[in-house]
Amino acid sequence: MKNSFRPALLLAAGTLALASCKKDDDAAPLTSVTPVTPAQSKTVVSLSAAGTTSATGQPIPARHYTFYSLADGKEIAYTDSNSTKWDVGFRGTTILINGGTSGPGQGGGQLYSGLFADLKTAPTTGYAVDAAAGFALPTGSGKGWYTYDATTHLVSPIAGKVVALRTATGKYAKLEVQSYYKDAPATPSATTPSGYYTFRYIYQPSGTDLQ
Amino acid sequence: MLPLALLASPALAQRTGTPVPADTLRRQRLDEVVVTATRTEKSLTDVAIPVSVIGAKQLKSMGSLRLGDVLREQTGLSLVADHGQGIQMQGLNSEYTLLLVDGEPLIGRTAGTLDLTRVAVGNIQRVEVVKGPASALWGSDALAGVVNIITQKPQPGLRGSLRARYGTNQTADFSATLNAGGERAGFTLFGNRYSSAGYTLQPASGSATVPPFASYTGQSRLTYSLSERTKFSLSGRYFVENQRSSAPTLTEAGTTVAVDYQSRQTDFNLNPTLTHRFAGDKVFATARLYYSRYHTQEDYAYAADGSYYDATYFTQTFLRPEVQVDYRPRPNQTLTLGTGLRRETVAATRYDQRQLMQAAYGYAQYDWTPTARLNLVGGVRYDGPSQYAGQLSPKLAARYQLSSWLALRGSVGRGYRAPDFRQLYLNFSNPTVGYSVFGTNQVAAKVAQLAEQGQLATDPATGQAIIYQSALAQAGSLTTESSGATNIGFLLEPKLRNEALGYRLTVNAFRNDLSNLIETTTVALKKNGQSVFSYRNVTRAYTQGLELENSLRLPLGFTASAGYQYLIAKDKSVVAALEAGQVFRRDPATLQTERVRAGDYGGLFNRSRHAWNAKLFYESQPHGLTASVRAIYRGRYGFADSNANTILDADNEYVRGYLLLNVAASKTLGPWLSVQAGVDNLTNYTDSAYISTLAGRLLYASLSVELGKRPTAPR
Repeated sequence: MKNSFRPALLLAAGTLALASCKKDDDAAPLTSVTPVTPAQSKTVVSLSAAGTTSATGQPIPARHYTFYSLADGKEIAYTDSNSTKWDVGFRGTTILINGGTSGPGQGGGQLYSGLFADLKTAPTTGYAVDAAAGFALPTGSGKGWYTYDATTHLVSPIAGKVVALRTATGKYAKLEVQSYYKDAPATPSATTPSGYYTFRYIYQPSGTDLQ
Repeated sequence: MLPLALLASPALAQRTGTPVPADTLRRQRLDEVVVTATRTEKSLTDVAIPVSVIGAKQLKSMGSLRLGDVLREQTGLSLVADHGQGIQMQGLNSEYTLLLVDGEPLIGRTAGTLDLTRVAVGNIQRVEVVKGPASALWGSDALAGVVNIITQKPQPGLRGSLRARYGTNQTADFSATLNAGGERAGFTLFGNRYSSAGYTLQPASGSATVPPFASYTGQSRLTYSLSERTKFSLSGRYFVENQRSSAPTLTEAGTTVAVDYQSRQTDFNLNPTLTHRFAGDKVFATARLYYSRYHTQEDYAYAADGSYYDATYFTQTFLRPEVQVDYRPRPNQTLTLGTGLRRETVAATRYDQRQLMQAAYGYAQYDWTPTARLNLVGGVRYDGPSQYAGQLSPKLAARYQLSSWLALRGSVGRGYRAPDFRQLYLNFSNPTVGYSVFGTNQVAAKVAQLAEQGQLATDPATGQAIIYQSALAQAGSLTTESSGATNIGFLLEPKLRNEALGYRLTVNAFRNDLSNLIETTTVALKKNGQSVFSYRNVTRAYTQGLELENSLRLPLGFTASAGYQYLIAKDKSVVAALEAGQVFRRDPATLQTERVRAGDYGGLFNRSRHAWNAKLFYESQPHGLTASVRAIYRGRYGFADSNANTILDADNEYVRGYLLLNVAASKTLGPWLSVQAGVDNLTNYTDSAYISTLAGRLLYASLSVELGKRPTAPR
């Protein structure tokens, strides 16, 4: 009789232990933990969106935009322009976002003033979409992401301007253009090949955390 | 007797002065008289506002040729090159300083700068520099201060002088003066030829920094005493400068052609003046008329065949009748009333038609010495409306003699600058680049005209021409630039027991608050991608600082002087943006963006935080010897923005500070012959990339002959 009690006692103790754990469970229900995908950050150096120059020295814009996917971190062929494979497109100083009149995606963009690291959470509203009346990122010196100095003939990305993006698939990202010249020289001159984007971005596949 | 004469009869500079003992450079001139501070004669040490005087002896000892050389060596003044050599005072640009010759303004400014190389130094009696806004007496443009060049007046006797000077860069200067003075009439004549082969700091560019030029100045004054109390004076001045150069020019097709450039500038002034001292010696009246005409013509032709490339001309005239009455009911009170009319016209290639600006003005000033120690001066001037609203400029200044060797002084006042012809009426389109600039008076009509002609870029969505309505509205309501300023300081002059010693220290702290400064703005976009510019009132800025000057008279004929200016000049909207953390810069090497701290902001471009000068003069009358050594230091100053945030915030945006060393010595070889030799910029300092006004080491030697009586120092 004594022998059969021990396992029962153990069982009772175990059940009690479990019951006490269960009490803790009741006090603070565990939330389901989904796996956190870290934000992807990347710096792209010297992505060509440049055109050519004619025999008389007149600049000719590139025939096609250069398309880029922030999610995949690579250039997308222009033949896929009518898809959601790309997020941003570059040609000369114009930047397209896959949405509205530019493409079938849900993309949108807005300009944020501050340091790249200061934009910690993506805004959920306020995105402009490329339209016939104007692009989400306005063109023209001083109106969008760059200024053009007529005396030095240099295009400079405005320091302190960060593009908050909604990608083609509705995810959030932030992007900062750092140089418009080939190989991002420290002191570009009027003759340095231009139209080569050096930019860094952080892409968040889920959520709005952009740190 | 002498001080009483100064107080009892306020008069203009034209009056022949009471003779003073033979002056030497080294003697502390306690009775030095200035006229620009109050438009009446007042002793330099008695004025309530900061005034500096550069006398004839010092001018001669410095060996300067043109006004720019003289002014750049003064404390608190910097020479800046922008469409000509201009002067910067209390951190304010050259368009904010009024330049006068015998109380009458010099006209003919290019983009606001009056080129100081137009003014010869050979017949200057003294230069008075008044700091602080003086619009209460002098009207427009006297925001930073006034520089008044007083020329030599006819002295009794017959004498003349000739001077020839030659130096580096084939710089040659020939001057002749003639003075004839009798009981009632006096006559002076001055002629000068100044020429140079110019210099090139960047030979690779193919064009000279300063092309060769030759200029002639003729000035004459006739004075006649109609009676004991009435005097008449007529003075005239004529200046002409010819310059030619050749420069490679980029054409529209992208090729380079050599283009020959030839320019001719003429400046003519005529100034009759009548003064009358009423019986009782309480009222003194002056009536004067001033006429000036400035004309410049520029012709460009292809070097290859001489065919026409471009030609422009610019003609400006100025007419001003004025009457001033000084009423002195008691020795310690002076009431000054003045009124006049300004009439200016301009006709030029870049203006549609001959434009006219006309305004009447009146000013009043009360100079009161209620106690022996306190002097108060209050003044106000009203300038009637022309193309801008009527301007009221008040000023108040006070001087308190704390003890026999210390005097305190302070002043507050308003200064203003009216929009000039260029900002109101310009109609210019650059043929090669394609942008247009229109004066605000007609910009709305011109933009509408361009829109009708289809020359403006159109918005693809709406089909409308791209016009920035808010900028256009601002251009349409252009108003005067103005400033409010405060100057506080003291004058210290201890009475030393040793007669051979003398010391004077002046300290002045200043603050100028500027508003509505005019700058260019884009009002519309053209089809060719270029902009249509006009002007609007935008900037709010301030300059503040401290200036001190001291001079020490030593035994054995030495005089030492030193001056220092500390200056901060900042744009108020930039300061506000910095404090809000909204200004950024990108490091060009790492491409990282960072926030600019308020402490990194260097202020407005082209202003040095520190500037000092130190001079040593020697004179030995028995040996007929004078010598001088002058050191002028200009601290580093901002040149241009290089990290795309439009403000001065990085070390590589500054021009290095520099020190200039000038030496000169002269010796009399006989009763009427003297020689002088000197070196300007002894260390041969140049900065070919950033400073176009430094030509390197300049050596010179001159010979001068004085005929007739050896001159005593006149007033």
